[in-house]
Amino acid sequence: MRVFLSEQMNAKRLSRRRFLFFSTIFVLTSLATWFMADLLWRGGINGVEVLLLLLFVILFAHIAAGFCTALVGFYVINRGGDSSRISTTLPAGEDWPLASTAIVMPVFNEDVSRVFEGLRVIYRSVQETKKLEHFDFFILSDSNEPNQWIQEEVAWTELCKQVDGFGRIFYRKRRQSINKKAGNVADFLRRWGRRYRYMVVLDADSIMTGRALVQLVAMMEKNPHVGIIQTPPRIVNGETLYSRLQSFANRLYSPLFLAGLNYWQQHDGNYWGHNAIIRIQPFIDHCSLPDLPGSEPFGGRILSHDFVEAALMRRAGWAVWLASDIEGSYEEGPPTLIDSAKRDRRWCQGNMQHAWLLTTKGFRPANRFHFLMGVMGYVSSPLWLLFMLLSTIHVFSEVTSLDPVDPRAQDYTSLMGYDFKVPEAFTLFVFTMLLIFLPKVVSIVVTIGRREEVLRYGGSVRLILSAVLEVFLSALLAPVNMLFNSKFVISILLGQGVSWVTQKRGADNDGTDWREAIITHGGQTAFGLVWGISSFILSPVFFWWLSPVIIGIVFSIPVSIFLGKAEFGRRARTLGIFLTPEETFPPYELKKLQQNLAECYRHLPPFEPLRRDYGLLQAVLDPYVNAMHVALLRQRRTSAEAREWFMQLRRRLLSEGPDKFSTKEKMALLLDADSMIWLHRELWSCPASALAEWWRLAMRQYNVLTAEPNTALYR
Amino acid sequence: MEAWNEAYVRAEDYLRAHRIHNRLHSSRLIQKILERAALRHEQNPTIDPTTAVAEETETMMDRWFADVLDERGQAHERIAVDGRLALLLCDGSQKWPYAFLDEDRIPEDFAKAMRAGVIQAGPDLAISSMVPRPIDLGAIPEAAGETLERFEQWPMLRMLFLWLLFAGALGAIFNATR
Repeated sequence: MRVFLSEQMNAKRLSRRRFLFFSTIFVLTSLATWFMADLLWRGGINGVEVLLLLLFVILFAHIAAGFCTALVGFYVINRGGDSSRISTTLPAGEDWPLASTAIVMPVFNEDVSRVFEGLRVIYRSVQETKKLEHFDFFILSDSNEPNQWIQEEVAWTELCKQVDGFGRIFYRKRRQSINKKAGNVADFLRRWGRRYRYMVVLDADSIMTGRALVQLVAMMEKNPHVGIIQTPPRIVNGETLYSRLQSFANRLYSPLFLAGLNYWQQHDGNYWGHNAIIRIQPFIDHCSLPDLPGSEPFGGRILSHDFVEAALMRRAGWAVWLASDIEGSYEEGPPTLIDSAKRDRRWCQGNMQHAWLLTTKGFRPANRFHFLMGVMGYVSSPLWLLFMLLSTIHVFSEVTSLDPVDPRAQDYTSLMGYDFKVPEAFTLFVFTMLLIFLPKVVSIVVTIGRREEVLRYGGSVRLILSAVLEVFLSALLAPVNMLFNSKFVISILLGQGVSWVTQKRGADNDGTDWREAIITHGGQTAFGLVWGISSFILSPVFFWWLSPVIIGIVFSIPVSIFLGKAEFGRRARTLGIFLTPEETFPPYELKKLQQNLAECYRHLPPFEPLRRDYGLLQAVLDPYVNAMHVALLRQRRTSAEAREWFMQLRRRLLSEGPDKFSTKEKMALLLDADSMIWLHRELWSCPASALAEWWRLAMRQYNVLTAEPNTALYR
Repeated sequence: MEAWNEAYVRAEDYLRAHRIHNRLHSSRLIQKILERAALRHEQNPTIDPTTAVAEETETMMDRWFADVLDERGQAHERIAVDGRLALLLCDGSQKWPYAFLDEDRIPEDFAKAMRAGVIQAGPDLAISSMVPRPIDLGAIPEAAGETLERFEQWPMLRMLFLWLLFAGALGAIFNATR
């Protein structure tokens, strides 16, 4: 295979590829628009029909873009792979030269055990490659919950002790969390960026193997004009049916899309925010994020920083690549439909902001296309909804018209003067379905063609059964996601927030509870019922056309609960449904992570009355945690007024307990080294009568809890 | 007597919080602490026994940490934090269960391990400046941005616009369905 170096990029060849890709989108959209226009035009066209046609063109072009990516991906895979991949620049069998690299993991109130066990696995995996001396690891915490913060400190110390990682694994907690994740990483770069040539950005749930990390650094060293290399993380470790469904779909269908993306974007790739390597100096020089006009949610600080950083890197002339074929990059997905919607709410706001940047001077067309696709990922939902509601109105006007016309579904297809005895609406429907489902079918066929690969999915029968179920469940979920996203887009445009129901976890702690599902999906169900009934009254034929959408919406509550249960996920796994190669033959790192986490979660959670403020309890009461916490704090000079305020707060904490303290007050105390030293000393020297009952209980219970050596990476 | 019992329990709790689980060693230490606290109490009977015990423990620990770490003359705040941290990092209470607060004999390997324990939350700073470069959003977003910012200054105008939009949508639906 010919090695294709990024600096030897053949502009003509790339233009040809892009011309082919975008022309196919254009041709497919034009063809579908022809059918749709013909369908609407018979008997004249009115305002609603013009609007319908306009929406159809936008929505169909969006679908066609996805289809063409997969189509090109199929072409590439069928040819045995693309010669123009960044990974081909690495010669096999050589001892690749590496450079200083920081592996940074920004965290914000995450499951501490998962974060640090994940880091342990990555650290050990890098150690296995015998290249550890090139890597430093940073936990960049923005956690603003006292419990999380103290647990992170304890877990960091324990991890460093256990893997001898002091001086190589670092922990930094920001006093003020400015500008969220982008600000967190920027703060790291301002403090320590110059010490490293590269940084690998991970999410709290990311796992990367040592080999993948070494490969990434080696690729950067080999290609000095590359600014970012993004790996495609595979979704793993799903337990609920929902997360396993996402994991299966990601694993089965993504190779086609990734190969297609790499085919046309090449060095104009995108950055997805994590599991990517970044050349630090150009990132510092060019990728600091500007503010957008106006204020949040639509303007202000850029929330989805990754796309913008890729565009800024490209604007400065640095290449951005997608290493679509690199193995050993993983992440976890949301466990339930509602969790997924909560994540989408954040992403939606970030992607909507990208609309500002579509016409920014100096950005590459490929980056503009990425921005547009990101915006369309969410804006397409309200457009689909509008399209279907307008269709309902259209049917209503047809039915109530004094001169009713036969339903269009019975009109035959006419193309270029030729008539086909097939209803035109049906032709258009089949054409649309083909674009949506053909990539899935092709992915299955490609996978079945590889015997070893099929076994990793549990065999061809299970693979096909899983794929059929995936298509069915995705069809149920699509309209629900459409309603969620429509709500998010509208709320963002109106400058409103979206409130979520706090989960009331049951004893089994398993997925979405009924209360949460009813409150979250209740409005959707009611909307679906009204829409379905009114459509049926208007025109039963139209109702049946609409039924795939209505069914998903009406049954959103039971579907959400069913998919959110880990029990069903485990049962499906036993039956071989939605199996992925990472489940049947898990890589060592993922297996080890699961074992370690199982060990962590065996620890009993803290005693119930003390649980809410256990972090504060440890930081004040435990001599070691107190010393470690104080050692990690920076000494500050405070004014006389502040000292007086702190003194009142400390006394109140010991005499009243932490129940009446706000999180802000607790954090203030935890951030003040003098207060923490004073509190520890006073707590242990005060007679019991001077202490709140909560502290007396804490002292009695803490000795029970620390009866065994403290291994710390507990929940 | 009740107050001394409480003081005894407090000393025992504090040692256990240091993971000193060896009963024999713990009892010896508590006895020593109580004797010293009793002497202090004799000199100053107003002091609460629990407080006296805590202060004696603190004094003993400060002195012992200073000896082990070879860092004499430090303020209590400094030596107490350094000492406990060093003990945590070398797992002193587990690996040398009889060494804690032993004023007569400090095992050489234990002292070495205590002095070796360093906590480093981050490497040495290498400060960089990272400032946003000017960005030209293009004519349309710039104009839209200015309009939006003007809108944000007049919340009433924004509300009026939204109501007009809503009324317009209602009107359009009404017109389309007639």
